[in-house]
Amino acid sequence: MPQVKIIAKNFMDMVAALPALKLDMLYDNGFICEAVLRSLPPLAKKYVLQMLYIDNSIPAKSMEEWVLAEGLSKHKNAIDRLTQLRVFLETVDRKKETSYILNPKFQSNLRKYLMYGGVSPREPMPSSVTVRLPSLEDLEAYALEQWESFLLQLISPSQADKPTNFSSSVMKVFQRGLLSQRDKEAPRLTEKGFQFLLMDTNAQLWYIIREYISNSEDRGVDSADLISFLLELSFHVAGEAYNLNTLTEVQRNTFKDLADLGLVKLQQGRKESWFIPTKLATNLSVSLSDSSSRKQGFVVVETNFRTYAYSSSKLHCEILRLFSRVEYQLPNLIVGAITKESLYSAFQNGISSEQIISFLQQNAHPRVAERTPSVPENVTDQIRLWETDLNRVEMTPAHLYDEFPSKDVFEAACDYARDNGGLLWDDSKRMRLVVKAEIHMQMREYLRRQKQ
Amino acid sequence: MASIPSKLYSDDVSLLMLLLDTNPFLWTGANTTTTSLPFPGFLTHVLSFLNSILLLNQLNQVVVIATGVNSCDYIYDSSSSLQKTADSSENGRMPILCSRLLSKLEEFVIEDERLSKDDSPEGIVSSLLSGSLSLALCYIQRVFRSGPLHPQPRILCLQGSPDGPEQYVAIMNAIFSAQRSMVPIDSCVIGAQHSAFLQQASYITGGVYLKPQLPDGLFQYLSTVFATDLLSRNFLRLPKPVGVDFRASCFCHKKTIDMGYICSVCLSIFCKHHKKCSTCGSVFGQALGDTSSTDRKRKTPET
Amino acid sequence: MAAGQVVMRAKYKTSVKDPGIPGVLKMTWDKFIFTPNDPRSSGKLDVGFKSIKGHMFSKEGSKKALLNLTQYQGGGYIFEFDKFPDRDVCRDFVGKVLGKLQSVVPSGQDAKVVSERSPATVQDEQLSPEEMERRIKLLRDASELQKLHKEFVITGILTEAEFWATRKKLLDVDGSKTSKQRVGFKSAMLADVRPLTDGRTNKVTFSLTPEIIHQIFAEKPAVHQAYLNFVPSKMSEKDFWTKYCRAEYLHRTKNAVAAAAEAAEDEELAVFLKDDDILAQEARQKIRRVDPTLDMEADEGDDYMHLLDHGILRDGIKETTDLQYELYKRTLSQDLNRHAAVVLEGRALEMELGDTRTVAEALARSKQAELATKISDENAYQERLERASRMTEIEDLQAPRTLPFAPLCIKDPREYFDSQQANALKALGDAVAGTRPMNCTLSTEEAYGSFRELISEMRAAGLSDPVVKPEVSLKVLNGLTQHLSSTKYNLGKSAQESVLDTLPKSTKEELLHHWTSIQELLKHFWSSYPITTSYLYDKVSRIKDAMSHIYPKLQEIKESVQSDFRHQVSLLVQPMLQALDAAFAHYDADLQKRSTRSGDRPNGFV
Repeated sequence: MPQVKIIAKNFMDMVAALPALKLDMLYDNGFICEAVLRSLPPLAKKYVLQMLYIDNSIPAKSMEEWVLAEGLSKHKNAIDRLTQLRVFLETVDRKKETSYILNPKFQSNLRKYLMYGGVSPREPMPSSVTVRLPSLEDLEAYALEQWESFLLQLISPSQADKPTNFSSSVMKVFQRGLLSQRDKEAPRLTEKGFQFLLMDTNAQLWYIIREYISNSEDRGVDSADLISFLLELSFHVAGEAYNLNTLTEVQRNTFKDLADLGLVKLQQGRKESWFIPTKLATNLSVSLSDSSSRKQGFVVVETNFRTYAYSSSKLHCEILRLFSRVEYQLPNLIVGAITKESLYSAFQNGISSEQIISFLQQNAHPRVAERTPSVPENVTDQIRLWETDLNRVEMTPAHLYDEFPSKDVFEAACDYARDNGGLLWDDSKRMRLVVKAEIHMQMREYLRRQKQ
Repeated sequence: MASIPSKLYSDDVSLLMLLLDTNPFLWTGANTTTTSLPFPGFLTHVLSFLNSILLLNQLNQVVVIATGVNSCDYIYDSSSSLQKTADSSENGRMPILCSRLLSKLEEFVIEDERLSKDDSPEGIVSSLLSGSLSLALCYIQRVFRSGPLHPQPRILCLQGSPDGPEQYVAIMNAIFSAQRSMVPIDSCVIGAQHSAFLQQASYITGGVYLKPQLPDGLFQYLSTVFATDLLSRNFLRLPKPVGVDFRASCFCHKKTIDMGYICSVCLSIFCKHHKKCSTCGSVFGQALGDTSSTDRKRKTPET
Repeated sequence: MAAGQVVMRAKYKTSVKDPGIPGVLKMTWDKFIFTPNDPRSSGKLDVGFKSIKGHMFSKEGSKKALLNLTQYQGGGYIFEFDKFPDRDVCRDFVGKVLGKLQSVVPSGQDAKVVSERSPATVQDEQLSPEEMERRIKLLRDASELQKLHKEFVITGILTEAEFWATRKKLLDVDGSKTSKQRVGFKSAMLADVRPLTDGRTNKVTFSLTPEIIHQIFAEKPAVHQAYLNFVPSKMSEKDFWTKYCRAEYLHRTKNAVAAAAEAAEDEELAVFLKDDDILAQEARQKIRRVDPTLDMEADEGDDYMHLLDHGILRDGIKETTDLQYELYKRTLSQDLNRHAAVVLEGRALEMELGDTRTVAEALARSKQAELATKISDENAYQERLERASRMTEIEDLQAPRTLPFAPLCIKDPREYFDSQQANALKALGDAVAGTRPMNCTLSTEEAYGSFRELISEMRAAGLSDPVVKPEVSLKVLNGLTQHLSSTKYNLGKSAQESVLDTLPKSTKEELLHHWTSIQELLKHFWSSYPITTSYLYDKVSRIKDAMSHIYPKLQEIKESVQSDFRHQVSLLVQPMLQALDAAFAHYDADLQKRSTRSGDRPNGFV
């Protein structure tokens, strides 16, 4: 999904935008280095790897030797990213030759990794202390439930049955851009909001987290700290319990929010309390990579405009309801039909046909995803046609001129309007013409001059 | 949404099948002359390389297959060991990957020794490359069949032993099946001489063949050349051997020839006409003698 | 010819029948001029070859030595020569000129490569028009071939015959494809010879043509047999056919009773009236040949004969069967089936239809051939049985049917593959020439023992840190980079990519063209050895000359390309030069041998 890339990239942009000093400080933490490395484009990863044991700087020219003509843009992109993130430090010598050297902190951290492999950031608590940990499945279900209820609250606060921990101001921040609220009306999803719903979980998560971090300063939390903490979190093992006492006060506060998002589950033991990261958390750094991640779809669209969505999610049902008529719901199946009426209401909400089609295509059930096209052509065509139905009449603000004194004046006026690209319609018999509103002033000026 | 997708693979996610040459004759004895890199050093390079592959992407997967003299076996699989992180590293001196691999390797060597038949082999002792190639391909096939989302597999042979001629057919078959399933075979030759088999393997499957000039810098070779994922290979120029000689050599005098006779049964090649194939024993029909054949050929233009 | 013009005495005719105007025909490279002997005559011609499409000529040995130059616009100029050799000189010249013109004209334009049939066409080759057509078609289809043809045949390096001799296969394949359609029997039921009654008298007339007779023979083997038996030993041909017609007439009138009566009297007539034994036998054979797995029961319901009004009408009268005389009755369906069978057999009317006797005999011969196939039918029967058993068998219970094969036995695989390896090593063992392949003085036990030690040692010691020394790393990286930049221009970027693709298109095409033409020349060159006739001697020297012209051309290519590609081009040209050099070396050696051995026969005769 392209969105994931954009969102995730935006997140790394945020990291890259940190001041150099802060960035270098971040690299003290091995996990940050690891996460940053993983977020790099493939070519950049390779460059880092080959520089790992080289202390000297390598001239840019010699790196370009390796690049094929087709790969030049990728190469540029990779180098840009590396320098933005201060993984590569650029030096320009007297002869104006650029060369790069690997950030020493980054380098030593990664070398350590190679020697000792990936280690967990903190030791999990022994099972003797933690009484009974939830199974991975339970944990996943929990994460999902948390996430969905958060989403529901986000998009339609009235429907949410469980209030979250987030203060309404924080919630407002999240909602910014996704919902539009006119006076006294129920908030409605904006176009962006719809797109947000259509993203996959990781992308949505990153979107939320980015918003969360960007207003962290308001809450008195350093954004660099937060970033490093979140990235570190993703290196914990899902399903293991970790002692909350190892965290700072700020981090513990953050955890309450994260629990609301379903990233971690907090549990209270007899003496101690601990947190269990869910898969949502551990997948964070995975989805950071530039690669396009795919997910299993669930929707089958038939040529008779019926849709079968193999999902039990309430959210999916809501999304489908946006543009189709849901006919019945079975425990794991939502059957609906794409109708003219359902589409019209979607179009009225500012959803475009292309968005609907791309949603259907991206979420196509694996069985149909193998086929091309994954959504029947007649359906996609019809959706587009129905959209253009609405656009039959085009509105152009205009002005009507009539009662010209003479044919000559009228024709001169017509020519003038035509030359300025503003003539919409003219009737030479009755000497009337319609001119676009933009050139009304010019037109008036012109006519006044003619009169004199 | 519904569930976090079980597999999130993208184009640069790699599955690296590493074939490790564990021929004891290669690494011991007068090994200082064969390779200037002792085994522990070699393994250090390889293990760091494996770690670096795993570092690049959380979804990258590494499988190590030991190529012994009498057998071969999987000795490490990063996907299966994910769950068992609990049995932490034994002395903190090395990563879990390393200790696990070493213990499996030890078991493997003991087993390999048990299977050996004769006491002191004469001539060249080659390792069972065909077997480990087949194992790797089987594993890859299983990955292919696991679903539409799978990592991009490639095979890397770290080979030091000389080619075993008796494995020719098996290796060629493996090469062609790798070619069919579009799995590149990279080869890094650490032995004293070039490997004709691996040269062909890499050439045919579009992999990289490299014989490091400086054995001490093995890791650098591995990380610079062989760590490149398949996606990036589209954009990079990787070292290629100057040429692969596909000319055949005759079986009778082992000379490289441009033109010769081929047995129609077993495809043995000879530089001159024989009455009988020395390889498969097929009796060749009386070839038209020089005079008769040229006469026959010539008649046509005259008419 | 070489002078570029031909002057010949000839007669100009407007048509073949025309007596013609005697005069002198003068041909130059671009036009031909005819000047009548009688200056007052109107037959003066001055025509450019550009307007000439092709030329035709009468065969050697025909009455007149004619040459017809046809125009694009239609029509043409016919010249009659006194002697064939005169004509041939002109014809060859025309061929050359037209060939040259055509090679100037882009070949696709009219696709008439026609008259590249050129001088060499030939001293001793008379081609049938079809043959020529085929060659022309081949040339038109394969531009590669056409190029070669133009280069060698038109310029006279190779003769037409030599050129095609190496391409017999092309011609053959093509020839078999264009085998002409054979005419079979008409599907109309001719065999029923209709009697013509004039209405006034009782006379009935049957008219038989050879074609009808042939068809009668084909459809009615009994008649055929009878004819062979009776005519002319027992009765004249006329009597035979009279009898036949009489029998037909009886059939036709449905006069079964009369037929029975007459058959009793005349045994020859009976032959015609009775059911055809041979036919019956053939039918039985056919029944046997029916696929045993065919489900006949499935069609049982389709029997329309039982329904009312579904009988077959013959000449508008519904057939009814009278059991008593059934022997003498033939049903229409029988006739229909027989006729259909004959038509499907597609016996062609190949022989000249004329003499009835020869027709009958020819038919008998072809029958004989069929008999031979009947023997193979016995085998087929066996096969059918097998097939039936296969179809009805229960697959699970059968032993697996394996094809008999001889296993490939390789006595010593080492011998098979060692050679390859030795070769590879020889070629590649660059820097490591000094090192021994492997030291195998160790016993297995020792080797494994120390190997295990190494492993456990490593387990204890852990990884050495750092993995690589930075200096070494840098050296390796620089080394690789250098290697890359040095090979960048010598090789394609991927192993699969051909060096040729990197060259400019024109250079690439030129190289490829030279390569094919060199191959063509070499093929002819080597096939001429050993030289046994003066003809071959000529040919070799001709080819040799042509080959020597290629050297400067190759050199030219090499110099014309940009300096970036020069190295690659010279690499590509190298094998061509080598092949040519080898040919020349052989030529020189052969010449030397020849001169020392037979100094008194300088002409090359052996």
